[in-house]
Amino acid sequence: MVSANPTGTPLERYEALKAPAEAAYAAWRAPERARIDVAIDTSSLANGAKATRAAIAARIAETNATVDLGQNHGYGMQWLQPLVTITFPDGAAVVYGPVKAEQAAAIVDIATGRTPATSTLAIGTVAGTREGIPSLRDHPFFALEPKTGRRLIHRLGLTDPENMQHYLGTGGYHAAARMLDRHQSPAQVRQELIDSALGGRGGGNFPAGTKWNFLATAPGDEHYVICNADEGDPGAWVNRVIMEGDPHLLIEGVLIAAYATGSKGGFIYVRDEYPLAIARLEAAVREAEAAGLLGDGVLGTSMNFELRVIRGAGAYVCGEETGLINSIQDGRGMPRVKPPFPAGSGVFFKPSNVNNVETYANAPMVVEHGAQWYLEYGTERMRGTRLFSFSGDIQRVGFMEIPFGVPLAGVIEACGGMLPGQQLKAIQSGGPLGSMLPAREVPNLSMENAPFSALDALMGGGGIVFLGDQVCTIHMAEMFTQFVEEESCGRCTTCHGGNQRQTEIIRRTIAGDGRHEDRHNLALIDRTLQFSNCVHGQFSPKIVRNTLRFFSDEYERHSAGRTCDALECEGLIRFRVTNQSDPRLAEAQDICPTAAVIGGPGARSVDDALCIRCGACTDVAPNALVREAKPATPRMVAIG
Amino acid sequence: MPLETESRAQIRALISEFRPNHGDLLAAMHRVQHEYGYLSREAMEVIGEQLHLFAAQVYGAASYYEEFRFEPPAAVDIRWCSGPACRARNGGGIRDAILATLRVPMDGQTEDGRVGIRLGQCIGTCELAPQVWIEERATHTNEVVGELNAAKAIKIARALRDGATAREVLGQEVLRG
Ligand SMILES: Cc1cc2nc3c(=O)[nH]c(=O)nc-3n(C[C@H](O)[C@H](O)[C@H](O)COP(=O)(O)O)c2cc1C
Ligand code: SF4
Ligand code: SF4
Ligand code: FES
Repeated sequence: MVSANPTGTPLERYEALKAPAEAAYAAWRAPERARIDVAIDTSSLANGAKATRAAIAARIAETNATVDLGQNHGYGMQWLQPLVTITFPDGAAVVYGPVKAEQAAAIVDIATGRTPATSTLAIGTVAGTREGIPSLRDHPFFALEPKTGRRLIHRLGLTDPENMQHYLGTGGYHAAARMLDRHQSPAQVRQELIDSALGGRGGGNFPAGTKWNFLATAPGDEHYVICNADEGDPGAWVNRVIMEGDPHLLIEGVLIAAYATGSKGGFIYVRDEYPLAIARLEAAVREAEAAGLLGDGVLGTSMNFELRVIRGAGAYVCGEETGLINSIQDGRGMPRVKPPFPAGSGVFFKPSNVNNVETYANAPMVVEHGAQWYLEYGTERMRGTRLFSFSGDIQRVGFMEIPFGVPLAGVIEACGGMLPGQQLKAIQSGGPLGSMLPAREVPNLSMENAPFSALDALMGGGGIVFLGDQVCTIHMAEMFTQFVEEESCGRCTTCHGGNQRQTEIIRRTIAGDGRHEDRHNLALIDRTLQFSNCVHGQFSPKIVRNTLRFFSDEYERHSAGRTCDALECEGLIRFRVTNQSDPRLAEAQDICPTAAVIGGPGARSVDDALCIRCGACTDVAPNALVREAKPATPRMVAIG
Repeated sequence: MPLETESRAQIRALISEFRPNHGDLLAAMHRVQHEYGYLSREAMEVIGEQLHLFAAQVYGAASYYEEFRFEPPAAVDIRWCSGPACRARNGGGIRDAILATLRVPMDGQTEDGRVGIRLGQCIGTCELAPQVWIEERATHTNEVVGELNAAKAIKIARALRDGATAREVLGQEVLRG
């Protein structure tokens, strides 16, 4: 635990915190005996990091190995989790993965020096060198990251996110301390932000410094800064990475914003689905308070700043800033009419500022290194670097920090291309209010808003999902229409009712009942939705609109042609027994959850009326049954 | 004001630190649900008294969110990921298979309260798509089961339905193959 220094200027107090932290961190980086750090983050835990850590601990105990066990955050290569880093006494650090519990012994042996560091599990070095092991930075996954190294997430993999000394020991809180030491006035901090052109990372790219000016110049002295950590877009987990990997970075960013806007209180509103981020942030807030960096008289100045972590409860529109504010103040998290904007009336009806996690997390860099340094990367319209998370049918799922403007084609390459046997079909970005673009647009796309907007698309908050050609875009569109329908807060009939109608039409098409007039009606719904109160309603028809435009043929094949070429849409496919003598057919019959596989040995068949198209039968007996197009049934035609 | 019973006093003690007009409602509801598994009518009344809100306001807020429940939860929940990477790999088939196996609607639970299915949102572990999370209340288990298919999902749902614990299911060979 880091504790506050009771006397001195802010910088003196900060130095007193920093000196021991620096020493502790240096010792951690070049330990007396080798240390094994298991990545502990949401991704590694999902991949079994707890079992890995337990197995390593057991092995160390069993063999009396002179090795320590610690933790860090994963480096971004989620497809190689659980990641494990061995730091040797000479300071060299090698990352290994995937390290399952079964590999614990091998890892401990490498750490003790019984076996050489080169192992088939070795991915790369993150510090120092080891013969025969490349630098992790040379991995093609990181090809697009800044050549001079990561900026925003430079601590990831190189610190223990739960150790405040590591943050302080790597220069953390220096920007805030220097600022508080009257190095910069609040107005100067805001100007620096404006000069850096740091844009809001929630998707809108609104200049953060300008927004801070709104709050700073708002009446009264009860101002609040609010951090939007609701990260509701499925496929986006970049805010999670910052909160789990470097929680103090976010806290310092919010502290800087509070100083620059004259705010006494702050809230970090985190989605319920991120328990580890919440736990790490709460612990970090307590530590920062104990160190005198939050609370009354920050670093001995007259600044008081109380920061609270609020746990959401699973509502997408609470990510909309006024919904979020309503959610904090004891209510239903429904977006309201704007204006007034939060700077006019925010939490508890007091002037407030809402920014995304990554927006705040950039502030310490800007304040520390200045706007000019910040402007080195990015494009004219979007400055700096940003975190992206990439998922779907690519070889390498994970996150990286890249300058705005790199070509999307390069991203796909860094991600190792598509999985074997798959072609890219669609790019889904911007979450449920975002877009779905066809592979043919890849050459026209780079990682900034403008090229996406030019296609009536949205790059969004950092999540990009690459969909292979086994995916049906109509089926995928249904997922999003259902999402926006369920997450509508219900305030506007346009949004509430319009989204129900939109979902019904897409569902009916999937069921094999597309109608000629659907396209026209979808366009009407689209237009109506534009008149909803908030962006949720306004953008909710976007994915369907994209689908009708860019995947028009596929849509027509479904609607008029009653065919789903990807064989996903329930009403347009069927399952059929093709091989009575396959011994696995009995297993298929057994697994079927609706008893749709009927008949005895030699005479089994699928009862189409019972079949729910779950695919379990073909999972267990891929050579005994097929998923196939449903033969066209003659339609009833009214005569009269 | 209703009679102060022992159970009301317990709830009151649990949330005594929370204050009116202080942005504490979500925290108070989380605290109670963590302890009791759901928000009973009584709990919502006590929360209202503590925070100077009508029980109707508490219910109004609670019912807005996916996370709060008004009935005791199942012993084990299968939390189904509704995200795009999972959906691209037959996530929908997995959902329907589990629903059919348990014979319950989404967010429902079996009659004996043993197992339920709940709608989940992507947590960014898409490298393991398609997936579900197994959440067991008694043991505070919450584990991702990834690289699933419909057949494996049915085996998990059947095993839980027939009385297996989360630990038993998570250790099953079924999940590896
Ligand atoms: C339905 C809806 C959901 C949103 N969800 C988020 C979110 O999860 N995170 C976020 O930062 N912004 C989200 N936004 C945008 C916020 O309203 C707001 O613009 C943003 O937090 C401002 O921060 P920034 O300027 O730093 O980007 C959402 C907007 C809408 C309409
Ligand atoms: S547009 Fe939809 S989400 Fe937004 S306020 Fe209206 S009903 Fe609510
Ligand atoms: S797809 Fe599912 S419901 Fe249909 S026959 Fe196969 S296992 Fe049974
Ligand atoms: S889509 Fe299921 S974990 Fe991301």
